[in-house]
Amino acid sequence: MDTRTKEAVRYLGYGSHAIDDDTLALIGSSFEELERTVGRRIIYRIFDVSFQGETGLKIGTMEVDSRNLRRNLDGCRNVIVLGATLGAGVDMLLRRYSLTDMARVVVLQACAAALLEEYLDKCQEEFKLKQEAQGLYLRPRFSPGYGDFSVLHQGEILRMLDAPKRIGLSVTDGNMLTPTKSVTAVIGVGRTQLSCHVKGCENCGKSDCAYRRDKGVGE
Amino acid sequence: MILDRLGKELLYFDGGMGTLLQAKGLLPGELPETWNLIHPEEIVDIHRQYYEAGSDIVLTNTFGANALKFHDSKYGLKEIIDAAVANVRKAAALGVHDGRKTYAALDVGPTGKLLKPVGDLEFAEAYEAFREVVRYGEEAGVDLIHIETMSDTYEVKAAVLAAKENTKLPVTVTMIFDEKGKLLTGGDVPSVVAMLEGLRVDALGINCGLGPEQMLPILKELMEYASVPVIVKPNAGLPKQRDGEVYYDVEPDRFAAAMEQILGMGACVIGGCCGTTPDHIRAMTKMAGRRKPKALAPNEDTIVSSYGRAVILNKKPVIIGERINPTGKKKFKQALKDHDIDYILKEGVTQQDMGAHILDVNVGLPDIDEAAMMRETVTELQSVTSLPLQIDTVDIWAMETAMRIYNGKPMINSVNGKQESMDAVFPLVQKYGGAVVALTLDEEGIPVTARGRCEIAGRIIEEAARYGIKKKDIVVDVLAMTISSEPEGAKTTLEALRLVRETYGVCTVLGVSNISFGLPCRPAINANFYTMALQNGLSAGIINPSSEDMMRSYTSFCALMNYDENCEEYIRRYGGQNGEVRTPPPASLTLKDAIEKGLKEEAHHAASELLGTKAPLEIINRDLIPALDEVGKGFEKGTVFLPQLLMSADAAKIAFAVLKSSLAENGQEAQKKDKVILATVRGDIHDIGKNIVKVLLENYSFDVIDLGKDVPPETIAECAVREDVKLVGLSALMTTTVVSMEDTIKLLRKEKPNCKVMVGGAVLNQEYADMIGADFYGKDAMQSVYYAQELLGK
Repeated sequence: MDTRTKEAVRYLGYGSHAIDDDTLALIGSSFEELERTVGRRIIYRIFDVSFQGETGLKIGTMEVDSRNLRRNLDGCRNVIVLGATLGAGVDMLLRRYSLTDMARVVVLQACAAALLEEYLDKCQEEFKLKQEAQGLYLRPRFSPGYGDFSVLHQGEILRMLDAPKRIGLSVTDGNMLTPTKSVTAVIGVGRTQLSCHVKGCENCGKSDCAYRRDKGVGE
Repeated sequence: MILDRLGKELLYFDGGMGTLLQAKGLLPGELPETWNLIHPEEIVDIHRQYYEAGSDIVLTNTFGANALKFHDSKYGLKEIIDAAVANVRKAAALGVHDGRKTYAALDVGPTGKLLKPVGDLEFAEAYEAFREVVRYGEEAGVDLIHIETMSDTYEVKAAVLAAKENTKLPVTVTMIFDEKGKLLTGGDVPSVVAMLEGLRVDALGINCGLGPEQMLPILKELMEYASVPVIVKPNAGLPKQRDGEVYYDVEPDRFAAAMEQILGMGACVIGGCCGTTPDHIRAMTKMAGRRKPKALAPNEDTIVSSYGRAVILNKKPVIIGERINPTGKKKFKQALKDHDIDYILKEGVTQQDMGAHILDVNVGLPDIDEAAMMRETVTELQSVTSLPLQIDTVDIWAMETAMRIYNGKPMINSVNGKQESMDAVFPLVQKYGGAVVALTLDEEGIPVTARGRCEIAGRIIEEAARYGIKKKDIVVDVLAMTISSEPEGAKTTLEALRLVRETYGVCTVLGVSNISFGLPCRPAINANFYTMALQNGLSAGIINPSSEDMMRSYTSFCALMNYDENCEEYIRRYGGQNGEVRTPPPASLTLKDAIEKGLKEEAHHAASELLGTKAPLEIINRDLIPALDEVGKGFEKGTVFLPQLLMSADAAKIAFAVLKSSLAENGQEAQKKDKVILATVRGDIHDIGKNIVKVLLENYSFDVIDLGKDVPPETIAECAVREDVKLVGLSALMTTTVVSMEDTIKLLRKEKPNCKVMVGGAVLNQEYADMIGADFYGKDAMQSVYYAQELLGK
């Protein structure tokens, strides 16, 4: 099983259970349909970051109060701020299948999430190579909604990136990203290489989560 | 007037504004429009440089000046726009030294929000925001309105309508395409051109996104489809980043050289966008001087479009799906009366899957509000299909309502040769655009001869021209009369088809299946007549794409007449078949097995077979429900997972449909349980969780009222009271929207105290649910079903 399939299976809540052939086939055809549908786009810019006290930080002109993000970016002078999306076509696909095939909807949803993460990992790898050439190292990606980094920052991040115009990524009045298969994130750039950092999922405090990567399904 | 010069003379726009403002000290996050008031001297200086560089048209510094994007506590929009226009005028006085006539264009940019169904902005809200801006612009005395950097056809339609309806000014539009020639929302060049020309913009084109060289292939396509003057405003190359800063690196000379190519391809208004400077514009105007632009070559294709694609009627025959129409369809009528939008949408997506290119939409019934129903149906359909729609109604108000909110250039069904009909329909086509079906009948009725019908077509084309509606936008329907009452009917129709094509060169359309009315084995007649009509020049058959006979006619015709290159489509459809009609295999699984395994086709067969030996209600209670219970238990135990649970639910749904139609045939109805309202709360646009619960509740025969997503508390409470509902299920994804959930619960407690509320969603847990006062927290979809059963009885 390739990584993206494994991730999709995890998002579907299978945990350590074996997956049945029908669902596996559905995952395969969902990835195929998504590959024909998605329009991957990313935009990023590098900003200065400064810190105030235990929880305060300022990225470019954006002021953030978050202990978790403060810790994540500790020691960094710059951060890469990014927005990425799979485009509005995925939402259309989900709406269309909601009428006739809910199983496909949940599988498409999981596969789209896996594709988005895969895309971001690939982009991050490129950032990493570029930065390491200058003797700089990346911190784990951190998004609004992780820990105490409020989703209320979505709108400001998109403005900093001019994201609506550049990649068609926008935010609703309820601070939700549209198209829905999109993310914003910050990646710290520091002079030191942190060896033991964990990535995304495992870093979260919600240890009873059914979708957690480093343990089986919550029984 | 600039309109006298557009297309006849070469005109120059200005170049970038943002990059120059940053160089003058504009901070990231600062609103550039405020500089019209805070630093007018800097703004005038930039405008002046452009006039000096040779620009004829300078844009006001108002790109983000609309109520949805511009949030400033100190300055109002009117003040900003007044100052912006004054700055351009002042700059013209300072910068134009050769006495040439110049223009100030109101710059209108996007709102920065996405419209529904992708985002949460209503079309009407976008319209209002633009209306305010264009009115201020006209009051402040601009010469034209330039709507630019638009990446969504729906948003640009709102802006153009606002400008056209509220000002008398010329309106020009440029859109932002990517390197593949697509808008961010998926639209392609022909769909954009068709819609904008339908809305009668004075010029259209491309800006931003790309440098001049990358724009060449897109411009080529644009020139092929456009009939109005074309504008091109590229960036100074593709954006690059250095030390976190965005920059553009095409130098003025190279920019000018590329613009020379652009002129050669036929653009007649040129300028620059991001990264271009007065030096770029100077190099460009020096290069081109006052040369004459290439003459416009109008496009003659008959095109209709949706937000994402264009359908060209004159290149290859197309199929218009006829199924969204209550005429003669009992179930469809019932769906309309019950306001069952899902049923209508399913008819739409099924026809798309079966091969339709355009969908006819007719929702007329004597006792419903047709305009309201039409608005809702069109809105919902364009959220699930990218096929262009054919708005089919005799109710002019319903027609206009649909045309207004339609995202693209629709097909309109129909106008006819009666003066009254033309007086009503043509003004709408003139205003909103569209290709209109012209029925060849008039005050005297339907002529019996082909020549008579052809003459009416001629009169309709002539009358349309008086409204500026071109012949290419008239699609003639010579009418098919049933041969059971009109023995010469088919022959007359075929002759008329040929005659109309030969005489006027227009596209044609026909409701094909009328021909066999009153005869047995209608598909045989229909399919043969369809082929004959295609052979006589039918461009668009209105047919049922689920009819295999019709599709065989169509696919074969396309293969035979070389419309289907290498017979690819034919082979795709029929490859591997030996020409025999496939009969479904006998059911090898029991209904219970089929549902538990989540196999839809098998569930369908098994249910049909069981009907031979058992009554429908018995099957529901003895086979179907126990199977669902079994799967539900597996889900609880963690042996069955969500996709499997839903595959079973979908299979059960199909079996249900078989059993229900059997009940209906005997005048019975499946017993429906209590009503349950489901809604995703206000501010929340994620509705997958809610839809999962819906499918399962429906499996257990609950009468689900699905209010959709982003639903205000008032709507939910009002519905609960009106429908006397005992259970409401609410879904929310994020902490920020749980607040709306709490508001909804509070309101329900007040308005409908005897109604219980169950909640679910990613962010919720029992503690949270208790805190906001919910009666029940469903940790997964099955829990909601159990709760509903417990509360409302099995």
